[in-house]
Amino acid sequence: MTTVNDNSSEYITNSSSSSSAGLKSLITVIILICVCISGFISRLFSIIRFESVIHEFDPWFNYRSTVYMTDNGFYNFLNWFDDLAWYPLGRIVGGTVFPGLMVTSGAIHWFFHMINIPIHIREICVFLAPIFSGLTALATYLLTKELWSKRAGLFAAAFIAIAPGYSSRSVAGSYDNEAIAIFALIFTYYLWIRSIKTGSIFWSSCTALSYFYMVSAWGGYVFIINLIPVHVGFLLLLGRYSLRLYVSYSIFYILGLILSMQIPFVGFQPVRTSEHMIAAGIFILLQAYTFFDYLYNKLRYVRNIETIFFNLSVIISIIVFAIVVLLTYTGYIAPWSGRFYSLWDTSYAAKHIPIIISVSEHQPTTWTSFFFDLHLLICLYPVGAWFCVKDLNDERVFILLYAVFASYFAGVMIRLMLTLTPCVCILAAIALSKTLDYYADAESSEMVSNFDDSVSICDETENDENNQDLDNNAENIDETDDDDQNFLTSNIKIIVVTCIAMMLLLFIVHCTWITATAYSSPSIVLVSYNSDGTRAIVDDYREAYYWLRQNTPEKARIMSWWDYGYQIAGMSNRTVLVDNNTWNNSHIALVGKAMASNETEAYKIMTMLDVDYILVIFGGVIGFSGDDINKFLWMVRIAEGEHPKDIKEKNYFNENKEYRVDKSGSPILFNCLMYKLCYYRFGELYTDSAQPSGFDRTRSVEIGHKNFDLEHVEEAYTSANWIVRIYRVKKLSNRFQAKDALEKSTSSLSEESFEKNHRKGVILNKPHVKKGTKKSIHRT
Amino acid sequence: LFDLIIKRVKTMEGLYRLPFNVVQCPNLKLKKPSWIRKPSNTMVLFGLLVSYFLVTAGVIYDIIVEPPSVGSTTDEYGHHKPVAFMAWRINGQYIMEGLAAAFMFTLGGLGFILLDQTNKPNMPRLNRVLMILCSFIFILVAYCATKIFIRIKMPSYLT
Repeated sequence: MTTVNDNSSEYITNSSSSSSAGLKSLITVIILICVCISGFISRLFSIIRFESVIHEFDPWFNYRSTVYMTDNGFYNFLNWFDDLAWYPLGRIVGGTVFPGLMVTSGAIHWFFHMINIPIHIREICVFLAPIFSGLTALATYLLTKELWSKRAGLFAAAFIAIAPGYSSRSVAGSYDNEAIAIFALIFTYYLWIRSIKTGSIFWSSCTALSYFYMVSAWGGYVFIINLIPVHVGFLLLLGRYSLRLYVSYSIFYILGLILSMQIPFVGFQPVRTSEHMIAAGIFILLQAYTFFDYLYNKLRYVRNIETIFFNLSVIISIIVFAIVVLLTYTGYIAPWSGRFYSLWDTSYAAKHIPIIISVSEHQPTTWTSFFFDLHLLICLYPVGAWFCVKDLNDERVFILLYAVFASYFAGVMIRLMLTLTPCVCILAAIALSKTLDYYADAESSEMVSNFDDSVSICDETENDENNQDLDNNAENIDETDDDDQNFLTSNIKIIVVTCIAMMLLLFIVHCTWITATAYSSPSIVLVSYNSDGTRAIVDDYREAYYWLRQNTPEKARIMSWWDYGYQIAGMSNRTVLVDNNTWNNSHIALVGKAMASNETEAYKIMTMLDVDYILVIFGGVIGFSGDDINKFLWMVRIAEGEHPKDIKEKNYFNENKEYRVDKSGSPILFNCLMYKLCYYRFGELYTDSAQPSGFDRTRSVEIGHKNFDLEHVEEAYTSANWIVRIYRVKKLSNRFQAKDALEKSTSSLSEESFEKNHRKGVILNKPHVKKGTKKSIHRT
Repeated sequence: LFDLIIKRVKTMEGLYRLPFNVVQCPNLKLKKPSWIRKPSNTMVLFGLLVSYFLVTAGVIYDIIVEPPSVGSTTDEYGHHKPVAFMAWRINGQYIMEGLAAAFMFTLGGLGFILLDQTNKPNMPRLNRVLMILCSFIFILVAYCATKIFIRIKMPSYLT
C-alpha cells in the first residue's frame, strides 16, 4: 500500500511537468492528422466533378503496367516484353521502367485482398497520390524538426500539404512517379540529416534503403545522388569535417550504390555515367581526407602540418577530377545524357533533340508559375535562407545547397518546380516560425536578451513613472522607456500576429482555388461552362478510344502522334506505333514524316509500317487548342531532324513566314496528310452561324482548302464534337493477274457462255474427261 | 632482403619511415592563398537576394525565349500603346513584367527580414518604430502590387 501511495504521489508531482509535454505532443499529433486529412481532401476535386478516372497520358501506361503486374505476378512483370507498343519494335518494359510505383500499388492491392477487402486496382491507383501526400507532409515535419524546431516542422507540414507546386502533380488520378517520389525524396533527406547528426550506422543504412526506394520510383534520384555528395564536399570546404560525416557518407554511398544497381533500368549506370561520378569522386576524396585527418592526429608535432594536408587534399581532388575527365574522354564513362545536360546548357536541346523542348513542361519558368505555385511562400523563402545562414550548422548547409540548386533548376524547367516546392515550404516555415517565436509570445518578459534585469523590474513595478528618486533616476528613465516600449511592443505584436494570420488565410484560399481550377483537369474529359452555369462535358476521347476497342480487329495497328500512344494502348488495347516513352527518335520522325507528306508519300510509309488506322485530334469545332494542327510544326521539326531533304519547315509557312491554315496558307501544307485528315468534310460544316462554312474556331479563320477527297484512306469514325477522327487505311487496289485471264474473264461475260456456264452447279472451265484417256493437266 | 626490412622496422613508426630512406622530401614552401576567405554574412545575404531576384524574374526564360521588353497594341486611333503584361498566358511573359514581379517578391522578403531585425537589443526607440513601420509598408506594398499584377495578367483570378 505504501509503495502504491508513493508511486501515486510521485506521479502527481511529475505530472505537472510532464503534462505540458504531453499536451504538446497531443497538439502535435492532432495538427499532423488535420494536415494529412486536408492534403488528401484538397486533391479530390476532379473525382468529385467527374469520376475516378486516370488522368492525362503517362499515368495510363503506369496503370496498364500495374494491371499486368497484378494479373501476372511480379516476375512476369519484370520480364514483360510489350508488343502492343512501338510496332514493329516492341518495348522491353521490365528493363525500361521504374517499378517502384507499380510495386507500391501492387503491394497495397495484395494487402487489401489478403484481408478480404476487394478494392479494384483502379481505385488504388487513383487514390495513391493523395495518400502519399499525407505521408510527404509527415516526412517534411520530421525533416524540419531536425533542421530547426518542432514548431517550424508543423508549419512546413501544413505548407507542403496544400502547396500548389506539389499538389499539381499529385491530384487524385495523377498516377505518376512523382506521387511517391517526392515522399521518398524528403524521407531520404530526413534520414540523411539524422545520420549526419548522430553518425550511427543504423541511420546511414536506413538512408541507403530509402534511397533504394527512391531509385525504384523516379529518374530524379540523380538529384539525391548529386546533392548529398555536394553537401559533403561543402562541409569539407567549410572545415566542418567530423567522424560522423565520414561514417554516414561511406555507408550510404556503398550500400546505396549496390542497392541502386538492383533496379534493371538503372543497371550499371552508377559506375558508368557522368551523372554519378560526383558521388564517386567525393567518396574517394573523403577517404583521402579521413586518412589525412588520422595522420594529423598522430603527427601533431610536425610543423605546418595543416597546410601540408590542405594542399594534399587539393592535389588528391585534382587528380580524381583528372581521372574522371580522362575516363569520360576515352569513353569508359558515358557523358551527361541529353535530359540532364540540357539543364546546364539550355540551348543544347533546341539544336539537337527537339523532342525534349517540344514538351510543354520543359519550357523555362515565368514569374507567374512561381507565384501560382508558391504564393506567400515566395516572400518568406529568402528570409528563411537568411536565418539559416546566420546560425549555420551542418544540416543547414544542406538545406541551403538544396535551395540554391533547386531554385536554379526550377528557373530552367517548369516541371522542376516540383523539386523546389519542399525546400520552399521548409525555409518559409523556418522564417515564419522564427518571426512568430518572437511576436506570438504574449508574456514578453524574456523577449530580448539584453533587457534582462530592467525588464523584470518593469514587470513588477508598472506604475513607476511617479517615482522621482534621484539615485535611480537613470534606471527610472530606462523603466519609463521600457514601459512605453513594452506597451507599444505588445500592441504591435498583436497587430503583427493578426496580419500574419490573415496572410496565411489568403494563402489557403489561393492554394485551394488554384488546385480546384488549374490543376484538377483530367485532360481525358474536357468541360466547358455555358453562360447560365450549366456544364457541357466533352467526352470525345473516351468515346473514340472505346469505339476503337470494340470495332477494330484485335491486331489492328494505330498510327497517331506520340502524345496519345499510352492512352490508346491503355483504353483501346490496340497496338500503337509510337508512344510517350519517346525512346526512338527515328521512329517518331518516320511518323512525323508520314503526317507531313502528301497522301501518296504517306501511303508508302504507312504500308511499310503496316498501319491499319490513323488517329488525329482536331479541335476546330469546339475551339480546343491542344489539337494536332497546333502541334503540327513540332512534327515537321522532328521529321526534318531525321529527313532534312524531304521535309523542310519553311515549306509549311506562307509568304509572310506565318503558319496559317486560311487562304494564305502554303500549298504544301494544304496537301499534307495531317491537314487533309483534320479538315476532311470540315468545309461543309457551319461551326458558327455568323461565319462562313469551314470556320476553324481554334485558329479563328476560315480554312483555305475545302472540298477535297481522300485517296488512300477512308473515314472510319469521328467523335461527337469532331475532336477525335479515325481513318482506315485502304488496302492496295486489286491488280489483274495475266492477259489470258483477262480474256477468259471477258469471254465468260459474253452472252452465250454466260448462259451456258452460269447454270447452277456448273464449274467454269471444268476439264472434260473422255472415258478411256487420261487428261494431263499442265502445271504452270 | 626480408630480414633486412624486419631488422630496420622495429615498430609501426619504423614502417612509416621506410620510404624516406629511399626518397628525400623536397623543401617546398606552400601556403594557403590569403585571398580565399569565408564571405561575411551581409555579402551572403546580398548574393542570395540578387540571385533570387534574377531567378524569380524568369531571367532564364528571357534568355532562352527572348520575348520583347514590353508588348504593344494599337488602339482605335492607330496609336501604338505599350502593354506591360502578357495577358492570359501563364507560361509567357515580357521582360519588364518579370523584373517588376521579382522586385515585389524581394521587397516582401526584405520586409520580413526587417521585421526580424527589430528585436535586436540596444536599439533606440525611434529606430525600432521606423523599422517596424518600414517592414509593414514593404509587405503591404509587395502584397497589393502582386495582387494587381496577377489581376491584370489573369482577370479571372479568384473568381
